[in-house]
Amino acid sequence: MNAIGPMRPTGIAPPAAGLQAKPGGGAEGFKDILLQSVREANALQQEADAAVERMAAGEDVTTAEVLTAVQKADIAFKLMMQIRNKLVQAYQELQAVRV
Amino acid sequence: MFSALDISTSALVAQRTRMTAIAGNIANVTTTHNEAGEPQPYQPRYVVFQADPGVGAHGAAGVRVAAVKADTEVQPRYKYEPGHPDAIREGPWKGYVAYPDINIMTEFTDALEAARAYEANLGAIEVTKDMAQQTLRILA
Repeated sequence: MNAIGPMRPTGIAPPAAGLQAKPGGGAEGFKDILLQSVREANALQQEADAAVERMAAGEDVTTAEVLTAVQKADIAFKLMMQIRNKLVQAYQELQAVRV
Repeated sequence: MFSALDISTSALVAQRTRMTAIAGNIANVTTTHNEAGEPQPYQPRYVVFQADPGVGAHGAAGVRVAAVKADTEVQPRYKYEPGHPDAIREGPWKGYVAYPDINIMTEFTDALEAARAYEANLGAIEVTKDMAQQTLRILA
């Protein structure tokens, strides 16, 4: 039973105490993995936004740097979406299991 | 994953800086006064590149412009123009005007080289991008 613990999304139903992944025990939950990749993608997105803003404001930034920032954000977002899709797919497969 | 992109971008920026110096050299090919307005032929600028490990990762390094240096050793190119306001008044070069010794051909070759280097780095970016997108196919 503990093996499926880490895949359980929090906030859907209060998990039974015995099933919960121990906090600080090194086990990363569904939410943590997703949140981490969302955060990474978001940070790069904000970086790209800032770069575009600086360029639009007429500051002395090179276009190459701005476009690279945008591209990095795009790749990170795509990666994040793939991870999200995979996690949701795994969750749905688990939900389909008849108890 | 993004360090390859950063390295290529640093090269794009560096080549662009180099192109700026070349454009300046071509623009000032007949300039006879320096920045302070004193009569002195323009000194051609050359860009010095330096490996920049701060950009890369895993031992690879990016590139950055260490300095843009003026060639202070260059000898002027003398042209006989006695009517020119900057013509030398006395001495063996009387009646000559000191022009910067910039070879347009060399500058253009450098410009082409910078453009090709820029293109090559764009190609490297393209490959890195492709690799990142291909990797996603593992999951999909």
